Amino acid sequence: MSMPQLAIEPWGNYSLALAASVECLHVRPWTHTCTTPEILKLGVEASPEFSCLSFKVTTGHFIKAAMEGVEYGVMVNSQGPCRLRYYRMLQQKLLKERGFNLFIFGLGYDGIKPPLIRHFNPTMNDFLRCCFRARLKVVTIDELETAAWTKRAVELRAGDTTRAMNACIKDLDQARTVPEIKAFRKTIPARFNQISVDVNRRPLKVALLGEATILRNSFLNQNLEEILGGLGVEVRNFFLLGEEMRNIFNIGTGSKYGWKAMRKLAKPYLGTPVGGHALASVAHTLRCAQDGYDGVIHVAPAGCMPEISVRPILRKISQDKDIPVFECSFDEHTSQVGLVTRLEAFVDVLYDRKTKKEL
Amino acid sequence: MFGKLKKASNGKLLEPRTIGIPRALLYYLYPGLWETFLKELGMQVTVSAPGTRKTIEQAGLISESEHCLPVKLFDAHLAELAGLVELIFVPRILSTLPGHIACPKLGALPDCARAQCPGGITIITVDINENRTPLTESMAQLGRLLNADETVIHQATERALSALRRARAVPTAPRKPDALNFLVIGHPYNLHDSYLSGPILQKIESLGVNAELVSFADRTALPEPVKWDTCSIMHDRLQRLVPSEWDGVIHLSSFNCGCDSIVSTLYQEVLREKEIPCMTLVLDEHAGQAGVDTRLEAFVDSIKDQHEHAATCH
Ligand code: SF4
Repeated sequence: MSMPQLAIEPWGNYSLALAASVECLHVRPWTHTCTTPEILKLGVEASPEFSCLSFKVTTGHFIKAAMEGVEYGVMVNSQGPCRLRYYRMLQQKLLKERGFNLFIFGLGYDGIKPPLIRHFNPTMNDFLRCCFRARLKVVTIDELETAAWTKRAVELRAGDTTRAMNACIKDLDQARTVPEIKAFRKTIPARFNQISVDVNRRPLKVALLGEATILRNSFLNQNLEEILGGLGVEVRNFFLLGEEMRNIFNIGTGSKYGWKAMRKLAKPYLGTPVGGHALASVAHTLRCAQDGYDGVIHVAPAGCMPEISVRPILRKISQDKDIPVFECSFDEHTSQVGLVTRLEAFVDVLYDRKTKKEL
Repeated sequence: MFGKLKKASNGKLLEPRTIGIPRALLYYLYPGLWETFLKELGMQVTVSAPGTRKTIEQAGLISESEHCLPVKLFDAHLAELAGLVELIFVPRILSTLPGHIACPKLGALPDCARAQCPGGITIITVDINENRTPLTESMAQLGRLLNADETVIHQATERALSALRRARAVPTAPRKPDALNFLVIGHPYNLHDSYLSGPILQKIESLGVNAELVSFADRTALPEPVKWDTCSIMHDRLQRLVPSEWDGVIHLSSFNCGCDSIVSTLYQEVLREKEIPCMTLVLDEHAGQAGVDTRLEAFVDSIKDQHEHAATCH
């Protein structure tokens, strides 16, 4: 009997790590690091008109998987107040209406042993080993992403960083065992140091924050990181899965980006978590102002309930703390051309401010 | 927050402070409650004026463009009050029904109000989380914030609650015989904002249809499958509809409503099973009444046709 397949929602480069984590279940992971136009189209056609882009795109992935004969899928379970809570139920219905048999497991908030684990029932040993390996991959990807943000802003030849990144991701995907991953990790600095850089360029520092699906999916966000890198901007994407996991599992929450610290920081502006990453958006914007960032880009699917509801607050912070905030909403009609023009204008403003400040 | 308020010997506030209530979201979710309560405490209460075309235009101008219509309207009502009063009451609504949660946008409302209001105006807020704290307790907190005596708070609470009960129990008009019977559902701030729903309800009646508005007095809904409070009440009502008694359902949704984008699929599913026709009308800033009228006429005609067809077949 062939191994059953399990579809995992797209999480950018982190999809690799997630894929590694399910190997212990003796399933073949089905995933993409990025969405394709075809997948988006499938999702848009199947989804309610006014659902958000994140819903449409994950729906598209599950439909595509089902079309390729994948039997299972896994999707985060949310207990929060936002629409995410209903995604899995709704997607299961949409799949069924279309005659597909893909069953979606929920992950998280189901107790120690989520149904997914119970169903495939791996040995404890296997399970722990896989978790450990996946976690190591996640941290390694955090490290790669961080290196790419810095280099891309100062690279001499456009595209060098992206090429290096792609090669690294490929190698990381090949690394199967813990020693292999560790050995790969050691090579990262050297590989990025090979990229020739313009030492005189002083890049702007800009934060990307907001809703995670869009932040992580370079197809949906129109390659935001690369566009900005090309404009000489060093970005910090505030969605790093390693950090996120520490928050979810409450490890190291005492840290600067930990949940508790964020709540405290945001308190004068926002007295409730709202849902999604809305509280984090407020806290990070405040933090960026303190840390001397040149600007903030707030990313959300158009109409995102939690993120859009804090936009008036972000505007207030922008005024109070004198930090430019660029609001960027994405839907299936977002065009890259329009986005690039707007980003260029924003970056111009940031450069002006920076030069004036330095005078 | 603001200076101590002087009290008269009867415990009511001696120098009544002016407090505003935006005629939006919170006003319709708890009809009659806040007005009565604050007045009973001895405050001088101003409710922003009922919505007009101008309110909608103003909302479109000043509010975040991706907000849903009701939150935009809230912003317009807030702006209207800003010049008129010292305090504005904006509760942080986290849940209006035990076991349920409110739309996440309502939780950020007081913070947004603070971010948007010009200086000199104080936003007074308390958490409303009927999932954890009884409404009366939240009201008592509000009373204490405003420096009122416990006995006054107690009495004000009683009166306010009975005002709420009266307002929520919308009497159902007797059904005209031989007319179609429609249930109209939608968030309370869509259904009871007469500028938004008035023309639609009039049109429905002019087509010779008995229209009943969904009631939010009924608090027995279970939080499955819908966890959002008002949506759950509507979903529950739909599940209990007896098909032979209803000819159609009209859903007044609002543009960019995140909750409706999910739950309308569930409403439709329930109604499909019961074979009750359903039509969704989306309220937005630019909707013209003419388009709505045509759609309503077509909907009513198609139902009448079906009935005639069924009658001739039998
Ligand atoms: S339930 Fe819908 S209409 Fe009401 S506040 Fe939330 S998003 Fe807006």
